[in-house]
Amino acid sequence: MAAKARKTNHRRLARERIEALFRQAALFYPENPEWSRRCVERARKIAMRQRVRIDRRFKRRFCRRCNAYLVPGANMRVRIHRGCVIVTCLVCGHRSRYPAVRSQHG
Amino acid sequence: MISPQNVLRHELIGLNVLVASASNPSHVGVCGRIIDETRNTLVIETGRGLKRIPKKYSIFQIRLPGECVVEVDGSALVAQPDKRITMRIQV
Repeated sequence: MAAKARKTNHRRLARERIEALFRQAALFYPENPEWSRRCVERARKIAMRQRVRIDRRFKRRFCRRCNAYLVPGANMRVRIHRGCVIVTCLVCGHRSRYPAVRSQHG
Repeated sequence: MISPQNVLRHELIGLNVLVASASNPSHVGVCGRIIDETRNTLVIETGRGLKRIPKKYSIFQIRLPGECVVEVDGSALVAQPDKRITMRIQV
């Protein structure tokens, strides 16, 4: 029972840290995109280690290949093509495709 | 939220910090914003460039949001940033 409580506590802390890191990544981006890339890398590491999902607000804001923090209009291209949202990372050229049919995804 | 009780396990990037004591005398008094963290070091952005400060044998004064300053022994922070969440705190 104590172990379970500890685990939920760790996960709660992990969620807080992920949120703090993404906030910081947004702040760092105008100064140095490389620093925000490091923040995203760190946040994903925490998420994977603690098995926590990355919040919906943040999950499309980074490149899954190079971990770059993506800002629409700056280093990210969003196009609709054949029922898919295609997000291109303009840093490494990676394209992620998301279904465009369900409206609850952001 | 980050509090004096959970600074050891919380995110340090973006916080303001002052090196209160260090084994290298030229590191004492370095003050600025934490940019990056590795297992053994913190990278601090000061007015005069980035400084990489070893955590071990240093004492940091960390300013938390809400004007609260905590003094942290750097030896307690030696761990990979993502492993600090689960680590046991040894006194």
